[in-house]
Amino acid sequence: MDLRKTHIYDYHVKHGNIVDFGGFAMPVWYDGIIAEHNAVRDAVGIFDTSHMGRSMAEGPDTERFLNRVISNDLSKLGPMGGLYSVMCTPEGGVVDDLILYKLRDDKYFIVYNAGTREKDFAWFTKHSEGYDVELKDLSDNMAMMAVQGPKAVETVNAVTEEDVTAVERFNIAEVTLDGLPCFVTRTGYTGEDGFEVYVKDCPLASPEKGLKAWNALVDAGAKPCGLGSRDSLRLEAGLNLSGQDIHEGTNPLEAKLRWVIKFKKEGGFIGMEAIQAAREAGIKRVQVGVAMVGRGIPRHDYEIWDGEGAGKIGVVTSGGLAPSLGYGIALGYVPREHSKLDTKVMIKIRSRLAEGKIVKSHPFYDDSVYGWKRVK
Amino acid sequence: MSEEYEVEDGLHYTEEHEWAKVLDDGSVLIGVTDYAQKQLHEIVYVELPEVGDSADYMGVVGALESVKAVSDMNSPVAGEILEVNEGLLDSPEQVNESPYGEGWFAKVKPSDLDGDLAKLMDAAAYREHLKSQAH
Repeated sequence: MDLRKTHIYDYHVKHGNIVDFGGFAMPVWYDGIIAEHNAVRDAVGIFDTSHMGRSMAEGPDTERFLNRVISNDLSKLGPMGGLYSVMCTPEGGVVDDLILYKLRDDKYFIVYNAGTREKDFAWFTKHSEGYDVELKDLSDNMAMMAVQGPKAVETVNAVTEEDVTAVERFNIAEVTLDGLPCFVTRTGYTGEDGFEVYVKDCPLASPEKGLKAWNALVDAGAKPCGLGSRDSLRLEAGLNLSGQDIHEGTNPLEAKLRWVIKFKKEGGFIGMEAIQAAREAGIKRVQVGVAMVGRGIPRHDYEIWDGEGAGKIGVVTSGGLAPSLGYGIALGYVPREHSKLDTKVMIKIRSRLAEGKIVKSHPFYDDSVYGWKRVK
Repeated sequence: MSEEYEVEDGLHYTEEHEWAKVLDDGSVLIGVTDYAQKQLHEIVYVELPEVGDSADYMGVVGALESVKAVSDMNSPVAGEILEVNEGLLDSPEQVNESPYGEGWFAKVKPSDLDGDLAKLMDAAAYREHLKSQAH
């Protein structure tokens, strides 16, 4: 089967190592995962994220419609503000996580995951029935890239007409980048300060504008980074990977997402009753971070055992070596009674049990050393 | 493709990209090939067997891990583990830097050397095998 290509494919095929990522031909690394990881923690890197989903919702009922579909509450969002949320099934499982940006009261820009791109747009479309809202899937008509790291502001400023320094976290702005009309948002998936850049009017069939923006940002100092470091960076930051750490079988209250669930908002939201019922019945398993104490690297689907090694208590949903920390870390789910900080757990690595402990996971690192909070 | 990958003459190779080198005393050094280390890239963790463990022909005796991927280490010969390369515990990158030298994995006392060697490829056959690998 032919892999789907993004706007930046021509660059990847020349400089990167391509893998099949959910049907997309994407670079796993260019120079090496660790060098790319460190570039983002120490300076600035750039990721092609054009495989992600992005849509525009416009019309008089836009906000009312979106607020019914998502669990968080858009009603207090100011113009050009953004909001992280999940959207849920009627059974209370997570369809996807997403960010919604308010361009106007009646116009929202929505960004969501690559793996659920078609499913999400179909979900929006299905639930928009009865609302006066027009939905447009812009994913193939807009290149998208993330510029991440403590030097992201100066890198983006080097190629934009506007000064992006004042764009607040999660806000969106219109800029001209190397002569190209773009949105930028002060967001990312690495834990670091940075921007996601959306090059407007850039169809997949003639992606020159996307490549031009990419090359301008690379020339301004951003190191091209592949999906390998994207995954190690987001894991260190404790950010969920939709479809893996959270999915339709996950109740958002299990996944430390209580803060995006608004039980009291006007009109409620899809899945609210089921989530409320689960809450009243008691949430029995919760997401935790695990840091390895002994040797070994936890991986997706490895078993989590209790500290005595008596038996399985849970499963790793994401794991790997944390390059900035120098040891293995994991996200997974365990019964609440095993979730206290510093609780000893074991990870089953092949045939042996390796010792780990429950740690703070959002982020795993000290946020005065790494991450956006230390910048400024 | 194969020109990108070093293949040492005189070694015996598996389809899974391990090598075996018969030493003068009859013991066998085992490791992974240049192709294997380049596929894994940046090896960050190595899991070794214990001295005295027994190894089956193409049985799993350990693992090599990069940031992204885990790869089993299979023993090209059956026998008993005589020695392991403990230097890899602190310096797993030696497998990348010197897959046929400092990056050796373990030393095995073979139990059916002739039988196992007959199933392995020589350098010329392994070079051909690499040409058939996609990527």
